Amino acid sequence: MTTIATKSMATHAKERRTRFDSKALLALPGLLFMTVAFAVPVILLIIESFAGPQGPTLDGYRKVLADNYYVGIIWNSIKLALITTIATLLIGYPAAFALARARGVLQVVLFALIFLPLTVSIIVKTFGISIMMGRGGIINWLLINLGFIERPMRLVFTEFNLYFGMINVFLPFMILPLYSSMRMLDTRLADAAASLGAGPLYAFTRVTLPLTMPGVIAGVSLVFSITVASYVTPSLLIGDRFMTMSQVMAKAYLNIRDFQLGASMAVVMLVIASIIVVAASYLARAPKEGR
Amino acid sequence: MKSGPGRAEPADTQSKAERHLEVAGVTKRFGSTVVLQDLSIAVGSSEFVSLLGPSGCGKTTLLRLIAGLLVPELGTISVGGRDLTRVAAHRRNIGVVFQNYALFPHLTVAENVAFGLKAQRVAKPEIEQRVREALALVRMESFGDRSVLALSGGQQQRIAVARAIVVKPSLLLLDEPFSALDRKLRETMQIELRHLLRELGITSIFVTHDQDEALVMSDRIAVMNEGRIEHLASPSEVYSRPRTLYVMEFVGQSTRIAGRVAASDRGTIAVDTPYGQISAAGSFAPNTNVVVGVRPEAILSGENADAGFNTIRAKLFDVVYFGPKTNLLFEAKAPADHLLMEIARLPQALTAGRDVALRWRIEDTMVFPAP
Repeated sequence: MTTIATKSMATHAKERRTRFDSKALLALPGLLFMTVAFAVPVILLIIESFAGPQGPTLDGYRKVLADNYYVGIIWNSIKLALITTIATLLIGYPAAFALARARGVLQVVLFALIFLPLTVSIIVKTFGISIMMGRGGIINWLLINLGFIERPMRLVFTEFNLYFGMINVFLPFMILPLYSSMRMLDTRLADAAASLGAGPLYAFTRVTLPLTMPGVIAGVSLVFSITVASYVTPSLLIGDRFMTMSQVMAKAYLNIRDFQLGASMAVVMLVIASIIVVAASYLARAPKEGR
Repeated sequence: MKSGPGRAEPADTQSKAERHLEVAGVTKRFGSTVVLQDLSIAVGSSEFVSLLGPSGCGKTTLLRLIAGLLVPELGTISVGGRDLTRVAAHRRNIGVVFQNYALFPHLTVAENVAFGLKAQRVAKPEIEQRVREALALVRMESFGDRSVLALSGGQQQRIAVARAIVVKPSLLLLDEPFSALDRKLRETMQIELRHLLRELGITSIFVTHDQDEALVMSDRIAVMNEGRIEHLASPSEVYSRPRTLYVMEFVGQSTRIAGRVAASDRGTIAVDTPYGQISAAGSFAPNTNVVVGVRPEAILSGENADAGFNTIRAKLFDVVYFGPKTNLLFEAKAPADHLLMEIARLPQALTAGRDVALRWRIEDTMVFPAP
């Protein structure tokens, strides 16, 4: 019995492996495109980051990783990405849950509210936020009329303005993967947990959260890797007061023409984003392997 | 517990043990749709009661109300004398076996069974012991470390039952637990579950749309229709003395003939039908439109002068062979009529097109007001 089972399983696995090979061909066009559009430029970038006037050098990295000015900028980018990721996760998780449970007209309305902003250009959105945050803008008007402040306060080009805008722009990117993992969640699992005496908090931490973890991990790696590299939104919302890695790179390439500085910064950013994505994917996979 | 012919005894004459679960005057609406209308049912301790009805009759809603997953607009639900109407589901100690089992896919078999005990903060050594015992009860001891995703349908069902009973619920609710199983396995599991629940003495409410399942498993059956209980009685009572035409049609097969009362005398009536006059026990006034019903296995073929029998004539038009039984269908003279008899073996003389005399005992004749 056991031998038969093992044998048939082995044959099955073999069949699956051969079948998988032919299906892997379907990834070929995408693979080719990514090789040309992503791998080749990245390799060139890495080469450039080491290229000095007299052969290979670590000068670029020495500058980026030892100079307090640049370290501060790297930290700015990481802080910006972390705060945006955590805030969008905290706001996006319940929103995604509501979206997944909503039915009919309510679902359409919620969908529109969350995803319509995606169709609006980031530039339009960030300018809109600047208008709202201006001295004559609605936020100052509200604060004055509610009696919190006497004279309009400066909001434009502050960190508050920056985070407000970042969360606004990147929230849909968090909600989307969360939503799809919640859609697949069987609502009766929560009922089953309750019928077994689990209170709402226990049921959430032991059932809902672990089962939606793939969505959390996908959302976190997506939002972190795009916010750590974000350029347009921070430039428009806070400008030079809060330099990010992307702004340094842009300046290095476009203004001061220090290509090695730009390339080194780019590689550092790539490494940070890769660490987050790889760590997240590992976390996503680990519980399944444990079983 | 057994109620009189066709009548359930009023709840207040039952003793306390016989009212372990008491649902009183419950009304539930979804929007403007009334799903349950002033529904009451009392279930005795250790009793197994089925809620039987077609989809949309409100049986699953009633189950969810009892479980605390829904709250009624009106009425009360109590278990063991404690009013649970407004108590949250997780504080009710009512076990549920869900239709597709709702096992936690990220947990092993043993972790699934232990879930309720952990949630209720039972001590660890006790959890291990009780999980082992529960798995032994459903004969799944060696599966503790498996993923629930690797189990067959029957095994998943056993784990769902083990998970629900390990917390010692005061009441067990089962929502169509066999619907995902194939026929052969379903029959085995029905008997197995019935034995297990009887052994443990757990009061159980079982939702099904499958009449055979309800007949096999239950101490009593509540036949539901459009948010009401039409008949609550033992399986044999529901089958042989259905209280309404709906119950007769829903539970088992039946021969149904529409007619008009010709004469009524001291509890006996004579009904004129296109197939001949039929006598039955009943107290309908003359000229009332009625439907006469007979269970197909109560019908015999061939003339007999015996006064205790009704005899009609009908033309055989189809013979349906089922193996252990054969169904004979006869030509109906009115569209709502249905003439069916069931025999063990088909006599050679009976072929389609033949005019056949059908007879059955007068006491097997059921009469209902025409719809």
